[in-house]
Amino acid sequence: MIPVYELFIAIRHLTSRRRQTILSILGIGLAVMILMISQASMVGFSQEMYKKTVDKMPHITIEPKPDDDHIYLYRSLAEDIRSIDEVIGVSCFLLGQATFEYEDTSKNIIMQGILIEDHDSVLHINDDITKGNLRDLEAIRNSVIIGDSLAEKLDVKVNDMIDASFPEANPTALKVVGIVDTGTPLDETLAYTSLSTAQDFFDESNVVNSIIVRVEDPDTAQPISDKIDTFGYPSSSWMETNPEILQTLMIEGMSNIIVLGMIIVIASFSMVSTMIMVVMEKTREIGMLMAMGVTRKSILAIFLLESGIMGLIGPIIGVSVGILVCLYFGSITFDMGEEAYGGVSTFPFIVRIQDAASIVFFTFLLNLVAGIYPARRASTFDPVEAISNE
Amino acid sequence: MSDKKKIEIRDLTKIYGDGVEVRALDGVDLDIEKGEFLAIIGPSGSGKSTLLNMIGILDTPTSGTILLDGIDITTASQRQRSKIRNQKLGFIFQYHHLLPDFNAIENVMMPLLINGIKKSKAKKIACEMLEEVGLYDRANHRPNQLSGGQNQRVAIARALANNPDIVIGDEPTGNLDSKSSDIIYDLLRKLNKEHDQTFILVTHDERMAEKTDRIIRLVDGKIVENSKVE
Ligand SMILES: Nc1ncnc2c1ncn2[C@@H]1O[C@H](COP(=O)(O)OP(=O)(O)OP(=O)(O)O)[C@@H](O)[C@H]1O
Ligand SMILES: [Mg+2]
Repeated sequence: MIPVYELFIAIRHLTSRRRQTILSILGIGLAVMILMISQASMVGFSQEMYKKTVDKMPHITIEPKPDDDHIYLYRSLAEDIRSIDEVIGVSCFLLGQATFEYEDTSKNIIMQGILIEDHDSVLHINDDITKGNLRDLEAIRNSVIIGDSLAEKLDVKVNDMIDASFPEANPTALKVVGIVDTGTPLDETLAYTSLSTAQDFFDESNVVNSIIVRVEDPDTAQPISDKIDTFGYPSSSWMETNPEILQTLMIEGMSNIIVLGMIIVIASFSMVSTMIMVVMEKTREIGMLMAMGVTRKSILAIFLLESGIMGLIGPIIGVSVGILVCLYFGSITFDMGEEAYGGVSTFPFIVRIQDAASIVFFTFLLNLVAGIYPARRASTFDPVEAISNE
Repeated sequence: MSDKKKIEIRDLTKIYGDGVEVRALDGVDLDIEKGEFLAIIGPSGSGKSTLLNMIGILDTPTSGTILLDGIDITTASQRQRSKIRNQKLGFIFQYHHLLPDFNAIENVMMPLLINGIKKSKAKKIACEMLEEVGLYDRANHRPNQLSGGQNQRVAIARALANNPDIVIGDEPTGNLDSKSSDIIYDLLRKLNKEHDQTFILVTHDERMAEKTDRIIRLVDGKIVENSKVE
């Protein structure tokens, strides 16, 4: 059934009570606009934080086989991993505990013996070096770069000598050649040395116990990790090692939608109350239409169309204006200082088509469902009573 | 047996009961021949509107039957009722029963559109109907821009749009002065002759009733007079 005259009547009703119609549409539009803008900033902000967080962590981590402490023949394994298209960095390193002692202070730390170029290609550690030079790790024998918090605790400066020791390790004097600030709690225990320094210290030759990988698009880490798995060593993507990141993103997004969805529910309620009034006002007209042979189904259709049309135009306008607002403010750079919002300096609005589409769709659906009540009422009028209604 | 289409009402009773029982119609028997012009008169509350609403299948009786061309319309489904109302019946009610958001021609087009007739064709027929009631020049006026008599003429054009077998009117001139009423009655009479349709009108006005073929007088839900006007 193509509801031709039903649509004709519905549209005429809407245009005849123009002011009410516009108010209803604006009410819904406004609520939708607020949701759209909020959602875009929410998504933008989360994405920014997400990108920054994931950017700083290994996308894929390869560990020794279970019951084993080391990864053997790591060079050829690294070559195999590097030959995967999406991989842009591979770093093999040796990681272990050590005790650092300077003057009267000693601290247990995690020593990471790295190949600086490789490690930088995965974690961009060079960006975090605040004092000294990353190159010196390999240029100067027995050198170390330590986290800034650790340096504070030990009260050491660049060029100071630290005594490193650990049971079953070879005690070594290490020269501090740099300070690193990753901005994470790691800074309290982090110490980089060259791979060979670490191998000498731990008395291991030609082995590593960790390989980390950077891929072009972090979102595709999982399938690549699965592929690396087949090379023989257990491999996990960042999604597996840090599942809370994605969960946080999802929960934040959901709670935003739920809270702001309430505004839309309220706007839809006001539209329903308008429709209930309209149906009351039009009682006699509905009776006339029934006398003219309009079926109850068609009466239902007419009033559903009315709330449906308002429930479609409203969110389309709301989403469009919302997107324009996002584009406008998104292009403005704000000076919020380095620390504010983790160094985010523009409003990071991200308008996702699926957000816009689902907001329109669900608002429309909500209004349609809400419109069922007044429309059903209209369709169940008794024609005789309706016609004689004053 | 007549092969003319007709209405046969048998033992029609309508009881409203909300504590106190009201017999709005009490065993009404009535045959109406095709093409008749009939007036139903009687004091207020005698059941005129109730009877008319039954014939217009807007209401269902407590008991009894109404046969339209041999078909019992009191037991028809909702869908069938809507279809009969649209195609076989034309309604003229008192003042204020046009659709206020639509202009004259759109009001006349409405039964045609409901009947599934294309807009262009509906418009053509509606023009002819408006011409017939002498309101072609007011086609684009809305009901609130027309006088009471003009509104009623539009309502008549609308009632006749689908060329129904039966046209029913509940006090179609109830709100009009006697001069306008005369014009409406003359128009109805003329249309009744031209189209050979059955007209059933409820009226308070004995003078108007005299212009019809037959007068049915109701008192307390019973027919007390059924007389041809000579
Ligand atoms: N919905 C209803 N509920 C209860 N009683 C009703 C209802 N409709 C009509 N009646 C009663 O049925 C009787 C007949 O009413 P009806 O409207 O047919 O009278 P009428 O002859 O058309 O009167 P009028 O000339 O005033 O229009 C009246 O006593 C009225 O009170
Ligand atoms: Mg009456």
